[in-house]
Amino acid sequence: MAFLEINNVVKRYEGHTALAGVSMEVPEGCIYGLLGPNGAGKSTLIRIINRILAADEGTVTLNGKKMTDDDIAHIGYLPEERGLYKKMKVGDHIVYLGRLKGMTKADAVASMHWWLDRFDLKQWENKKVEALSKGMQQKVQFIGTVIHRPPLLIFDEPFSGFDPVNADQLKVEILALRDQGSTILFSTHNMSSVEEVCQQITLLNQAHVVLNGRVDEVKQQHKKNIIAVQTPDTIEQNPALFTILPPEPGKKQDTLIKLASSVQMRDAIAWLNEHYLLTGVTEVLPSMHEIFVETVKSTKTAVNNE
Amino acid sequence: MNKLRLIIAREYMSIVGRKSFIIMTLLIPFLFVIIAAVPVGLAYINDKGSDMQQIAVIDETGRYAAALHSDEMYSFVAIKGDTVTNAREFYNKANGSLSAVIIIPRDVDSTGVINIYSEGTITPALVSSVRNVLTDTIQKAHLAEMGIPNLQQMVDDAHVDVDVRSVKWDEAGGEQESSTNAAMGLGFMLSFITYMFVLLYGAMIMNSVIEEKTNRIVEVVVSSCRPFQLMLGKIIGVGLVGLTQMAIWIVMLAIVGTVAGGALGLTGAGAGSMSPDAMAAASGADAGMMESIMRQAMSINYVPIILNFVLYFIGGYLLYSSLFAGLGSAVDQPSDSSQFTTPVILIMLIAFYAGMACMENPSGPMAIWCSIIPFTSPVVMMIRLPFGVPTWQLILSLVLLFGTALAITWLAARIYRRGILHYGKKASFADLFKWMK
Repeated sequence: MAFLEINNVVKRYEGHTALAGVSMEVPEGCIYGLLGPNGAGKSTLIRIINRILAADEGTVTLNGKKMTDDDIAHIGYLPEERGLYKKMKVGDHIVYLGRLKGMTKADAVASMHWWLDRFDLKQWENKKVEALSKGMQQKVQFIGTVIHRPPLLIFDEPFSGFDPVNADQLKVEILALRDQGSTILFSTHNMSSVEEVCQQITLLNQAHVVLNGRVDEVKQQHKKNIIAVQTPDTIEQNPALFTILPPEPGKKQDTLIKLASSVQMRDAIAWLNEHYLLTGVTEVLPSMHEIFVETVKSTKTAVNNE
Repeated sequence: MNKLRLIIAREYMSIVGRKSFIIMTLLIPFLFVIIAAVPVGLAYINDKGSDMQQIAVIDETGRYAAALHSDEMYSFVAIKGDTVTNAREFYNKANGSLSAVIIIPRDVDSTGVINIYSEGTITPALVSSVRNVLTDTIQKAHLAEMGIPNLQQMVDDAHVDVDVRSVKWDEAGGEQESSTNAAMGLGFMLSFITYMFVLLYGAMIMNSVIEEKTNRIVEVVVSSCRPFQLMLGKIIGVGLVGLTQMAIWIVMLAIVGTVAGGALGLTGAGAGSMSPDAMAAASGADAGMMESIMRQAMSINYVPIILNFVLYFIGGYLLYSSLFAGLGSAVDQPSDSSQFTTPVILIMLIAFYAGMACMENPSGPMAIWCSIIPFTSPVVMMIRLPFGVPTWQLILSLVLLFGTALAITWLAARIYRRGILHYGKKASFADLFKWMK
């Protein structure tokens, strides 16, 4: 039984369907990527999990129990479009968000101090939010999301607005939270961060789930039998076994070889090893970026052909 | 409940804690004093600043010109009637040194008509001053001519100002002095307070809603509480801000009242510089009326009025503030809000004017209808309350008001729930109706 289960959730608006029977299972303690192009229905799904919107059909269960309004205390949510009360003091603001999630005042204050310390924001506690730089405001926002140590964290485009240094710090914090047992649902367009942190993904497109599973498995499923060979020799075409692809820009030392459909990788490598001097061979797996683009494009044509 | 309290507290502190709130709260009463004082001051400057006016009085009777005494503004110059044949010629001959010519004709005793001529403007102040003085003088002269000893004294003794007391029979057969003037004053005050409060703080709620939307904080907040709690928290929080502000003003008024009361003896002496009309208005002639108003004010039974005022105030505030909150949620920027607020403000204005109109006839059909219809009743019923309202009308009106207020709050919450997450395309009224479903 997964920690968070979404069963056949449907959400309709006037004139269009935002979610057409979406299901997904998020195991406990994992970082789960929710991917999809703009307008795929990610934000709607996230809002349903947060109980900001109600689903027309389907259920959302947390820890095996159907979610109720009380469960929002167990969720920390960082929306894509986010902001703070500009006139509030940083410390008061964080405590307010914590208490809204049901913390006692003393707990919220203690936790606020701990987090401000961790992010080097201690001297800003009594400053108004508007006095902070954008990056610092984003950190305050993050603290406001995690202050109550929720078992489920939902981040919608968490890295937008962060410079690379702060994005790295944020990544470290997210991984630390995962290690402490939080389950993290992670919605993003940034495919490199998906490869770095996510174990599993669901790809939504046009209100449907078009792809899901473990990141490594998805990559295996989408591999195109390409190997990158490092060799001082020039490899000739051999249509029976493989075709040579034009080299990737910036990686001219690698010769990219696409194996013919029936050929096993080990046979091809053995043959190459016999005929050329090989200094290295690696299997080329598609990046999540490629898988994303390819899947979205193919489902788009599929839907359009319907 | 706990969350609601948190939201109320934050909303309240976010406004009351602002420097601008403290400054405005302290300044607004002074602003009112200034607004009230400006016309008086201007009139004073006007009086003081203008040059002394020379006015020729051609008295054909030869008896009354002396009654017009010169003061700081007018210098009356009496001219024997038989020396002037043509007033126009006389005026022109003076080469602009005269500002007016008064002719008291020979037959003034029978006709009671005198004329003032001028090429310039003849001020109302001059006209009324001349009229008052000459009426009195000529009347006295007539009385004297009758040759009856002590007639003037007898006339003065006979003079009476009739004070009409309206007495209302209650059902138990008792009598109670009812209180037209005081009731009107009180009614106007209560309805004005309701009207201003709803408009001022309704707009404040709307701004607060829009601010959260433009700030993009709202989605974070509604992931921790229900949108309805947030909306209700705002309405109550801002309402408490309004009550705080009013409490501060009442305290300020009480302090100013006490201080001014002590200093009244001093300012009384300064009243001599007022124009004759103003003096008349403030003088003892009206003491009887003041006394009667005081007596009426004492006779009003305040407990039910205040109780009802509180009820209508809460109902009216809830009704309009949730409207403002719902409408505010549909816009991204304060500048877009006018398309939605205009109709609401229009309804408020209608209520206010209906209330003013109902003062003339607080038991007329318009007053009764407007005090039962929920959108106008909080303002109009205030006008009627001090005059006494049949119980069934009160109950009907209150039930309707609270029923409607709750229904509007419910609908507004539905709009709000959708509106706060709606960005981009400007919402129309059609969208709002869709969101209500």
